[in-house]
Amino acid sequence: MTSRKGQRDAARVVRQQLAREKRRRRTLWASVAAVAVLVIAGLIGWSVWSGQRADEFTAPKGANDAGTGIVLGSGPVTIDLYEDYLCPACQQFQQVSGATIDQLVSEGKARVVFHPVAYLNRYSTTDYSTRSSAAAGCAAEGGRFKEFTDRLFERQPREGGAGLSDDELIEIGAGLGLDRDDFGSCVREGRFKPWTERVTEDASRSGVTGTPTIKVDGKNVEDRSPEGIKAAVAAAGR
Amino acid sequence: MTVTVARTPVDRRPALRPWLGTAARLGLATVWLVAGATKVGDLAASGRAVVAYQVMPYDVATVIGAALPFVELALGVILLLGLATRLAAGVSAALLVVFVAGIASAWSRGLAIDCGCFGSGGQLAAGQSPSYLPEILRDLGFLALAGFLLSWPRTPFSVDGWLAGEPPVEDEDD
Repeated sequence: MTSRKGQRDAARVVRQQLAREKRRRRTLWASVAAVAVLVIAGLIGWSVWSGQRADEFTAPKGANDAGTGIVLGSGPVTIDLYEDYLCPACQQFQQVSGATIDQLVSEGKARVVFHPVAYLNRYSTTDYSTRSSAAAGCAAEGGRFKEFTDRLFERQPREGGAGLSDDELIEIGAGLGLDRDDFGSCVREGRFKPWTERVTEDASRSGVTGTPTIKVDGKNVEDRSPEGIKAAVAAAGR
Repeated sequence: MTVTVARTPVDRRPALRPWLGTAARLGLATVWLVAGATKVGDLAASGRAVVAYQVMPYDVATVIGAALPFVELALGVILLLGLATRLAAGVSAALLVVFVAGIASAWSRGLAIDCGCFGSGGQLAAGQSPSYLPEILRDLGFLALAGFLLSWPRTPFSVDGWLAGEPPVEDEDD
């Protein structure tokens, strides 16, 4: 009786060990599969992003040599403005300090390099940041960048909506004297979208993490008031 | 021998815990799916959110920013299925610890950024103040879910349970 019980116990132990071994192997393969899924997901992200990056771009007329912004004026001090047409703080900045900057340019004290970055695509349903920036490229091609930029800030749509439509952007451009056909087809086909991407990536690379960012001769200006900007330009011009 | 004794039907785990485990697993899965989905539409922005922490070179940060949303989505799916739950919980915990460390370091260096945990991210506009403490507390809550699953990874309705089959059958005539 005891020996039969012993045999049964032994057989059960063997069976259980086999089952445990099988479970262990399954757990191992499940872990391998999970790790593989995670690694592959990461690689997919990398390759999708690499595919999205524009390697070829054409800068519109009036751009700086690097093609990363539109130059206004020719003063000795350079003011870099990094702004997104959807960014409310940029609109506010334009309202408060825009005239001061215009004055510094017209007095020949400074040149402005305006970088229309597309940082806020997430805050519109139609990638308005990219569309408006590319449209500004079209306006620059027609020599109306400054006027177009000012109009876009005046008519800034709210965050979270669809933004201005391509038709509305074309209407604004035509109202500024741009050729409706040339400008319209440029906006519609998104001719300067690769340029916008380039502008945006260059801004990120130069450490611009938010909009608006104002640099005077390469140095960040914290005080964005008219006085702060005048002071920074005066200090740089010395 | 002692193993077989410990596995008698009487000595089952408390009935509630496995279901808490399922809840934790699905909760953590939701967190990752939402976190990934809000970032995946704009990979460049996701990269900028990582760049804003200023802890890595630009190129490394952008690659991580592009890969992270996809890894988060994959982690969410794996947890949803309940595949290799302990490993997935371990990876989740590791990621969360890195996130908490990143936020804490941004805080201690006086940076004014959004954590970029669920979309957005990057530097805050003037007048906006960062909310580091709620962000860290939230991540610690998620970390607790991951910790629960690390301790008790076996939950009902999981691929793991299906792979393991029924619990070992005891001797019928014992």
